[in-house]
Amino acid sequence: MQSDKNYDKDSPVNVILLAVALCVVCSLVVSSAAVGLRSWQDANVLLDKRANILSVAGFEDVATASINDVFSKRFTVELIDMNTGLPAAKEAMAAMEAAGKKYADEAETIDKYDQIWASKSKKPSVSDELSREEDKTQIKYREKFSHVYVLKSEDGSTVEKYVFPVRGYGLWSMMKGYLAVEPDLQKIAGLTFYEHGETPGLGGEIKSARFKSQWPGKEIYGEDGNVAVRVMKAAPKDKYSVDALSGATITSTGVSNLMQYWLGPNGFGPYIDQKKGKTQTTMIKSGDTNNG
Amino acid sequence: MGKSNKDLILDPVFDNNPIALQVLGICSALAVTTQLSTSFVMAVAVTIVTACASAAIAAIRHRIPSSIRIIVQMTIIASLVIVVDQVLKAFAFKLSQELSVFVGLIITNCIVMGRAEGFAMKNSVKDSFLDGIGNGLGYGLILLVVGFFRELFGSGKLFGQIILPLKADGGWYEPNGLMLLSPSAFFIIGFFIWALRTWKPDQIESA
Repeated sequence: MQSDKNYDKDSPVNVILLAVALCVVCSLVVSSAAVGLRSWQDANVLLDKRANILSVAGFEDVATASINDVFSKRFTVELIDMNTGLPAAKEAMAAMEAAGKKYADEAETIDKYDQIWASKSKKPSVSDELSREEDKTQIKYREKFSHVYVLKSEDGSTVEKYVFPVRGYGLWSMMKGYLAVEPDLQKIAGLTFYEHGETPGLGGEIKSARFKSQWPGKEIYGEDGNVAVRVMKAAPKDKYSVDALSGATITSTGVSNLMQYWLGPNGFGPYIDQKKGKTQTTMIKSGDTNNG
Repeated sequence: MGKSNKDLILDPVFDNNPIALQVLGICSALAVTTQLSTSFVMAVAVTIVTACASAAIAAIRHRIPSSIRIIVQMTIIASLVIVVDQVLKAFAFKLSQELSVFVGLIITNCIVMGRAEGFAMKNSVKDSFLDGIGNGLGYGLILLVVGFFRELFGSGKLFGQIILPLKADGGWYEPNGLMLLSPSAFFIIGFFIWALRTWKPDQIESA
């Protein structure tokens, strides 16, 4: 096939030429595939995220086609300031712009805000570095703003569940999931993980129905107001303890730590206090009207 | 090169099966075969990668310097695998999550590399492409056979459809937990090789 006789495929020049040419061609192929398919992939990731939020909030087997519908009908997405617990879409938009991600308006910020990116960016405008004592879950930097997904009743009048994005390090990997809490912000409604790299069959069982089924009904805060829910070996049959996974001590401790962290004062504590304060006042108010 | 197109494609399926005779690519045959749907997607992905990689390597085989030929082959294979992975993530997200790391690990699947080095470096583009398809089919056949038994006896389903109603769901079938674990694939592949060699005794190695 090779007609020119002077061509020496093993000459050093040819080695370099071929290597360079191959790299250019291959990188073009790979990058155009990655860029060209991104919009589909992003849509899939978003759909998967919503499917996970729906499932942790107790929606069983929602058809893929109707996930977005159900989600937008029943859930209100809030973007809150972690330190105050108050809605802070405007502040988040400004902070993200300072960190290098620009959103068109507040609605788009709420829609597209990426808190894992914020935490990983380590930029002071969107994340706080955690001290070693604070950083129970090894996230190193905690984002300043977070999403909270609020499930409303069909008519939109009452809150049925709060869903918080949570994550923490297990044995091998960052375990990312969603925690659903009942409107009293004391009882857990469910915990699900959508991404982890724990050992299949051992730590990977955090996704198993058996482990997940232990969470609903557990209580978060003890008598003293501190986070009491935990994962432990040979857990006592009380309202705070979940049985650890056998053969996966470090993964179980990781799950315990992430619950302690995200429900505590450095996590969603301020938001929960805020909401609890509000629920109490509305309860008193409604009590007044009933009396009158 | 004297082989006809039909032989190129069918030989690796029964006569020179990459898993059963060459015993290559076992790792992923254990990992992804708990369900038929993942087995099927994996088989298709490996077939496409093997065929395209072999064709691409055959096309530039006269220009590949022998000192860096393995790296060149790896680069081409790796690029194709990334493309396949991206396509799966875009159009078959659920399956790509279940296959997780094993799509990426097609790069290290010995079948792809074996065909590139063993066949494509010496043969024409068309022959290499067909050889790639054939080896992919041979690999896929084993995956589907293993996946069929593992899904049927491990979870009472085929392609996610309930065939044997499980006791846990009010049926009568008590699933065989071993089928969901990797070692069961070894047993099934072993039985497959036994059956194949009983049918074609010339595949038996002299002891």
